Amino acid sequence: MPVYRVRRIVVESYPILFICALIGLFAGLTLEKSMVKIEGTLVLMMVPLLNGIGGNLGSILGARLSSALHLGIVEPRLRKERVLKVNVNASVLTSVLIFSFIAAIFFAIAYMWGAGFIGAAKHALTFIIAGMLLTPVIIASTVASAFISFKKGLDPDNIVIPLVTSIIDVSAAIWLLIIAVDLVGL
Amino acid sequence: MVKEVNIRAIVVQGLSVLLLCAIIELGAGFTLKEMERRFALIPGLAIMTLPLLDLRGDINGALASRLGTALHTGVIEPKLKLTAELKANLVATLILSLIASATIGGLSWLTGVVMGLTVNILRLIGVAVMAGFISGLILAGLTILVAVFAYLHGWDPDNITSPMMATIGDFLMVICIYLAVLAVG
Repeated sequence: MPVYRVRRIVVESYPILFICALIGLFAGLTLEKSMVKIEGTLVLMMVPLLNGIGGNLGSILGARLSSALHLGIVEPRLRKERVLKVNVNASVLTSVLIFSFIAAIFFAIAYMWGAGFIGAAKHALTFIIAGMLLTPVIIASTVASAFISFKKGLDPDNIVIPLVTSIIDVSAAIWLLIIAVDLVGL
Repeated sequence: MVKEVNIRAIVVQGLSVLLLCAIIELGAGFTLKEMERRFALIPGLAIMTLPLLDLRGDINGALASRLGTALHTGVIEPKLKLTAELKANLVATLILSLIASATIGGLSWLTGVVMGLTVNILRLIGVAVMAGFISGLILAGLTILVAVFAYLHGWDPDNITSPMMATIGDFLMVICIYLAVLAVG
């Protein structure tokens, strides 16, 4: 009796991929509508980075929480969970470090690209604010989807990563564009 | 064991993978920036790009996840031999790449129509399916290689394969979309 069947993998995966496609479309729509606004900036270049780093932060936290749930180290509740707290703190710290680092790289790229000192600083500021706004979204959606799927008897490994990366894509696109255009005045 | 959770270890390990991924994502960002003018030429392309990138990571992330479990449980041996189990995973991934990419092409067309854009359904589905299938084929092979390689070196494929594949997937997908756009015109 084979463990993996083509039919089963396809049938189980398609619905979640479809939902993720719908969420992703919303992100794409925001991007399409904002294309005019972000012309002449490097904001488009930031999109894969914000999505990718955000997705990885969520995936790593999600994978650790899934394992911890399976092993019984973490209970699916928010209070009095030391291991959960350590994991969340570690994710916040990682997030601050990585987003600051990439913001510094964007400062250099924008400066070399000819954005000037202030323009380069605005690019860096845009990226760092977007990253900091994204962090609570990443953590909340990861913890919520891991706990809820585990409680419902689903394998968090199959649910958390696709769902969280899609949610991040939407929020990343929206945060980044709103901030770049309105707040920082890029 | 996992009992010893310490922030330092999680942050150090996470940062090393993330830094590597960030550098690759910079390449993806650069390609996307280069594509900016094409976005204006093919309406609906900007709508489609994010869900396609997302799909790539999801399908290969799931493949990586299943391979990790299969290697740990011994269902798949760490050899590069096309066994029935490996074949089922591979075929399922390719079928999903095809139908899910086509779905995204169709949904993007519908979204474009609702928004009042002049969108060409064949062009959008053509770009989506071409980019989805080519990148799917290359990435499925790479995923198997990375998972087996990681396992043979005593690393946990669960920690390595998923983030690596999501990142390489983004980069490759942007390039495949670009190539598909050039091919479709």
